Amino acid sequence: MNRPASIRSAVEARLARRHRSEQRFRFFGVAAISLAVAFLALLVGSIIIQSIPALTTWRVTLDVELERSLIDPRGDMSEASLRRGGYSAAIQTALRRQFPDMETREELRDLFGLYSAVNAARLLNQVVENPSLVGQTVSFTFPIDDAANLYLQGATVRESTAPGPAPLLVTPGEDETVTLAADIAVFDAFMDEARAVARARVRELEQRASRAEAALSEAIDRDIRAVYESEARRARTAAGQLLERLDEGAALVLDAQTPSLLIKAGGAVIRVTEISADRAQAAGEIVISGDAPGGLMADWTLWTLETPQAGRRVSDRQIILTDALRERGLAQSGFNTELFTYADSREPEIAGVLGALIGSVLTMFVTMLLAVPIGVGAAIYLEEFAPKNRITDFIEVNINNLAAVPSIVFGLLGLAVFINTFGMPRSAPIVGGVVLALMTLPTVIISSRAALKAVPPSIREAALGVGASKTQAVFHHVLPLAAPGILTGSIIGLAQALGETAPLLMIGMVAFIADAPTLGLSGFTEPSTVMPVQIFLWSSAAERAFEARTAAAILVLLILMMSLNAVAIYLRRRFERRW
Amino acid sequence: MQISVIVALTLLVLTAFGFLIGRRRALAARGASGGRLHSLPNYYGYYIALWTGGPALIVLALYGAMGAGLVNTLAMTQLEREAAPLIAEFERQLDNDAAYRALLAQAADAELDAMEAREAIALARDAGLDPQDFQSELARQTTRLTETGAQLDARRGEIVRDVAARAPSTDAGIRARAGFEYWISPNERRELFLADARAIAFGAGLASRNTPELRAAALAMRPVEDVFRYSAAGLALALAVGGLAWARSRVRGAFRARNRVEAVISGLLMLASVIAILTTLGIVFSLLFESLRFFAAIDWRLHEFLLGLQWSPQIAIRADQIGQSGAFGAVPLFAGTALITLIAMLVAVPVGLFSAIYMSEYATPRVRAVAKPVLEVLAGVPTVVYGFFALLTVGPFLRDAALFLGYEDAVTQSALSAGLVMGVMIIPFISSLSDDVINAVPQTLRDGAYAMGATKSEAIRHVVLPAALPGVVGAILLGMSRAIGETMIVVMAAGQGANLTANPLESVTTITVQIVTLLTGDQEFDSSKTLAAFALGLVLFTLTLMLNIIALRVVQRFRERYE
Amino acid sequence: MAHDTHPAPSTVYHPAPPGMDTKIAARDLTVRYGGALALDRVHIDMPGRAVTACIGPSGCGKSTFLRCINRMNDTIDTARVTGSIRIDGEEVNDRSIDPVLLRARVGMVFQKPNPFPKSIYENVAYGPRIHGLAAGKDELDAIVETSLTKAGLWKEVADRLHQPGTSLSGGQQQRLVIARAIAVNPEVILMDEPCSALDPIATARIEELIDELRENYALIIVTHSMAQAARVSQMTAFFHLGALVEYGPTEEIFTNPRDQRTQDYITGRFG
Ligand SMILES: Nc1ncnc2c1ncn2[C@@H]1O[C@H](COP(=O)(O)OP(=O)(O)O)[C@@H](O)[C@H]1O
Ligand SMILES: [Mg+2]
Repeated sequence: MNRPASIRSAVEARLARRHRSEQRFRFFGVAAISLAVAFLALLVGSIIIQSIPALTTWRVTLDVELERSLIDPRGDMSEASLRRGGYSAAIQTALRRQFPDMETREELRDLFGLYSAVNAARLLNQVVENPSLVGQTVSFTFPIDDAANLYLQGATVRESTAPGPAPLLVTPGEDETVTLAADIAVFDAFMDEARAVARARVRELEQRASRAEAALSEAIDRDIRAVYESEARRARTAAGQLLERLDEGAALVLDAQTPSLLIKAGGAVIRVTEISADRAQAAGEIVISGDAPGGLMADWTLWTLETPQAGRRVSDRQIILTDALRERGLAQSGFNTELFTYADSREPEIAGVLGALIGSVLTMFVTMLLAVPIGVGAAIYLEEFAPKNRITDFIEVNINNLAAVPSIVFGLLGLAVFINTFGMPRSAPIVGGVVLALMTLPTVIISSRAALKAVPPSIREAALGVGASKTQAVFHHVLPLAAPGILTGSIIGLAQALGETAPLLMIGMVAFIADAPTLGLSGFTEPSTVMPVQIFLWSSAAERAFEARTAAAILVLLILMMSLNAVAIYLRRRFERRW
Repeated sequence: MQISVIVALTLLVLTAFGFLIGRRRALAARGASGGRLHSLPNYYGYYIALWTGGPALIVLALYGAMGAGLVNTLAMTQLEREAAPLIAEFERQLDNDAAYRALLAQAADAELDAMEAREAIALARDAGLDPQDFQSELARQTTRLTETGAQLDARRGEIVRDVAARAPSTDAGIRARAGFEYWISPNERRELFLADARAIAFGAGLASRNTPELRAAALAMRPVEDVFRYSAAGLALALAVGGLAWARSRVRGAFRARNRVEAVISGLLMLASVIAILTTLGIVFSLLFESLRFFAAIDWRLHEFLLGLQWSPQIAIRADQIGQSGAFGAVPLFAGTALITLIAMLVAVPVGLFSAIYMSEYATPRVRAVAKPVLEVLAGVPTVVYGFFALLTVGPFLRDAALFLGYEDAVTQSALSAGLVMGVMIIPFISSLSDDVINAVPQTLRDGAYAMGATKSEAIRHVVLPAALPGVVGAILLGMSRAIGETMIVVMAAGQGANLTANPLESVTTITVQIVTLLTGDQEFDSSKTLAAFALGLVLFTLTLMLNIIALRVVQRFRERYE
Repeated sequence: MAHDTHPAPSTVYHPAPPGMDTKIAARDLTVRYGGALALDRVHIDMPGRAVTACIGPSGCGKSTFLRCINRMNDTIDTARVTGSIRIDGEEVNDRSIDPVLLRARVGMVFQKPNPFPKSIYENVAYGPRIHGLAAGKDELDAIVETSLTKAGLWKEVADRLHQPGTSLSGGQQQRLVIARAIAVNPEVILMDEPCSALDPIATARIEELIDELRENYALIIVTHSMAQAARVSQMTAFFHLGALVEYGPTEEIFTNPRDQRTQDYITGRFG
């Protein structure tokens, strides 16, 4: 019967394989954990990287002359008169003074595009607060337009500069045009590159055309067909035009589809419009005249903007102007405080999270005021007072289920009941707070019950033993001991509510709201938005600059939530008690 | 204003008085009989105070919550009744006005075109085309719509003015005009009208206008308001005094004051726990009610909603198209939800389960100290952040990868990117629930397996997991219910197109996405589109509820087995 | 080493019975949990084909000693085992010894019956399956049947082999677990208070079973019942505060204990 030897060899025969499978299994475990860690690192890392451009911003500081006749049109210095003043015009005048070359409408449009008119409101407020400024020159700082800002941050335009390889003869023609000539092919490198870019662009256009044609064959609607047709036609024509220009023997005409070439010489900037076939001569236009360019220049710079104008939102001229502002020390980069001091705006450079932050605070206040007392009360009842019967069982099952109901359903409840039946205002923190409170309630109840359950029965028995009533035992003895646990659970529930978006979309908190709500009683019924919804809104905005702002807003939200959770963890550690 | 302050103060005094009386009587009772009180003297005070303040407070709260509304309704109904002839005249004129009807047709046209342009934009985006042309078309149609709307408003205004001018400028005439103005106004204007009238009548706040009509309305409100206010005040005071007297008459030495007070407290606590039930009821009834209206709107063709293959609620914008078949077939939504849920679970279940196993069976305390917070942080990240991550990082990466591998139609918003990211979101959920369950498996079972010569992984696979299976299944079901109900990730990363496809690289739409799409826009509440959102909500609720109930049952059974 | 700071505990050894073959030998066997000493330099030789009973008050280290024999202490992170323990002269604590193989040779039965969440058949077949001891289904069936028969359970469960093991009564479960242990035909079977969760009738059956198993296996059992130790064992070891106090043939330990502590314990003065 006993056969140790054979058993031993049988077991040994399989040992190696079994240990390999053990290793494999363990590896899966390590891989799973590493994957989770990697996901988190990727998530947080990508958001931090994306948010970097939004952490700083470029601002322009100008001396703005507040001319009396412009700022005080009625001439009586009354507030009403001051409010009608031409502040935007004053800023525009200051800008023009910097760039006297800007004369035509087109040039002025580019120049004035560097700031958004909303900034004038701040100047207005300054003046209304301090009317003695009228007639004086004030130094006014405003964030530069988002497209120019992205250019300055080096995010959107690829550019390079190189010293001019040989002396260049600049001959002014009429109407701000100039011709450029050198002894050797100074534009050689640029030509090659421009042609390469053009070729790539042709390929892209042709792809687009064929895609549009493919879509066209599937489209049913007449109007849609028309649009696809025009899209395909446009792409084909553009591709054709570009192709013509690829002829090696011909001159190259620079336009929105090609890279741009700028010549910096002295204080002047010339924008090249055409390069001759021999690559030694070119025609151009003066954008900034500086000290009147002309003659043979030995010291000059080739400034190439590799991204074609069609592929960016700042024009060549705006780039030149922005760059000049930077060189003159008028544009400076600094920490993006606008992000925290402004509410939402359509202009990315002055869009901030202040409104959403206040909205979140108001909403969370309502949520806390409702969810915590009701949740704790319900927990006390169920844990300490409720008889064990079918009804309380049902309540318990019901609460557990409620905790797992999708949050969007609470939004539907809010829409149907609070807005449509009770007629409460849409988009208001009070409604959002109530909806989130209902959503958070199960979490608070469940964690409060756990905290109450953790208080050992001996405490209750001791209290009851000295003649306290049930209520006294609970409120005087059990509740204080359970308080840290209850508090922790409530904070975690609130943190969850702080990050919730979907139910708030249902009750109309998605509206664009440019004014921060009042941080007070009336704020509860004013239309507002909250942090996560602001993130959602910005993430679908078209302007590239909103991308970084969204990431920055996410960081703000994450930091808020982390600090809430840190408080909860601290409380748990500090007051944790084990029996 | 004054009267409510007086009433409140009186109530306060009465309540405090009641408390003192209670205490005094209790002490007196003890002194007289020399015997013992049943409760501490304070409880007698609380008891009387409760009876004094409680009922009166409820009356005042009811008046505060509903009084103004009732007054407004009563006063304005009266005025509207007086305006009946004007209203009839207005409706007659509107019906017979050719210009108005032409404008209406034009508006409907513009709306339809705008709708089409919007769909074209979505289509173009999906196809990776530049939607610029459609966007300008949309802008054009929107402008046209606004302009036509303005013209409509102007024409309507003209008729309104015309009709109102027919009422004589006597008191009765102005009252009729006030009723007419109120009747004709849209909801938010009505609110403004009421607020202004109240401001004029009671000086509460500042009126934005002051017209004869508003003054007439204010005049109509005042007597009604007075009746309400005085009766509410009287009732509250009477209740306070009555309650005080009654409660006082009951206070004796042997009276169980504490029990009474505590009964009130536990009643309030019970009320708090009933709110959870009320919430569930509220959800069920509001979803059911609106869904029924939706089903009525599609002529009870429920099978078309649940089994139809075509989801294009935009078609059903005009009233005559609501009943049109094929507009509300929700199968593409269900399929999209299922596809994304499947992808999410394929990510979350293995990673979550293996994390849980590793954490509870293998990890050293140091590894646990790192991994556990990581999972907790993953669980705490708001879903809108995951959505952003899916939209800007994962989506483009997957698209480029697919393009690189030669799949030409790759798009940024795909079922795969939404599903993957949703899977990541659910990992901590599955892992923490499974972790609990695995830890609940008794150590003796593991010891038994080791003692038989099982390796660690054999013990886990053969003994621990089978023992934990019900709990793990419960965790997976709960995770699935999460995935089905998750909104923001799919709204941002899955796209809008109702594709009926099993290809994870295409964009699909889900139940939750469509609820959001249908409800975030400016719509009046009764349109069949908004009602459809509630029907989808009902489906979602039912689905997740079933999963939750099963999951919670299974987990419950598991816990009972090992306790 | 901390235990070097105090003198080694002295043990009273009664003369071994004539012809005893040593199966398990421990020398200076010491176990610490974290810093706490649980077993202090145990020195013992235990016979094969006999029952050795370990007795002593709670917490004296009986289970710890038992768990040294099949290296179950490896599964406790804080446990540190030093010294030597040999089975048939082979060092158990040696790094080259694979605990998997060791545990296939040394079976163990626990205080609380712990059948796996599987059918009765699968419970018994578990060991042969993972170790690959059966060539085919028939052989496995045979092993299951002989093991259940040896454990005295075959008649009771023959017609419900595929019901879950947890559906049996406590005593039956414990016999099932014993059948599971002998299915791999181990050389040694360790039993840690196998009867303490059972009623007297089930206990009697297990004792019978132990007596039968003695013919083929070396059995080491921990028990709190003096009577049980006297009934089933041939050798008895008395532990106290982590030290082996007295060891010898059961009869001598119970009739003529030489250490005062042993005397006190078996007469019920403490423990
Ligand atoms: N896993 C463990 N961790 C720490 N200490 C333990 C552990 N197991 C047992 N001990 C301690 O070791 C000593 C011996 O325990 P044990 O061998 O279980 O005693 P017995 O089985 O004789 O009752 C006791 O003091 C006990 O507290
Ligand atoms: Mg023990």
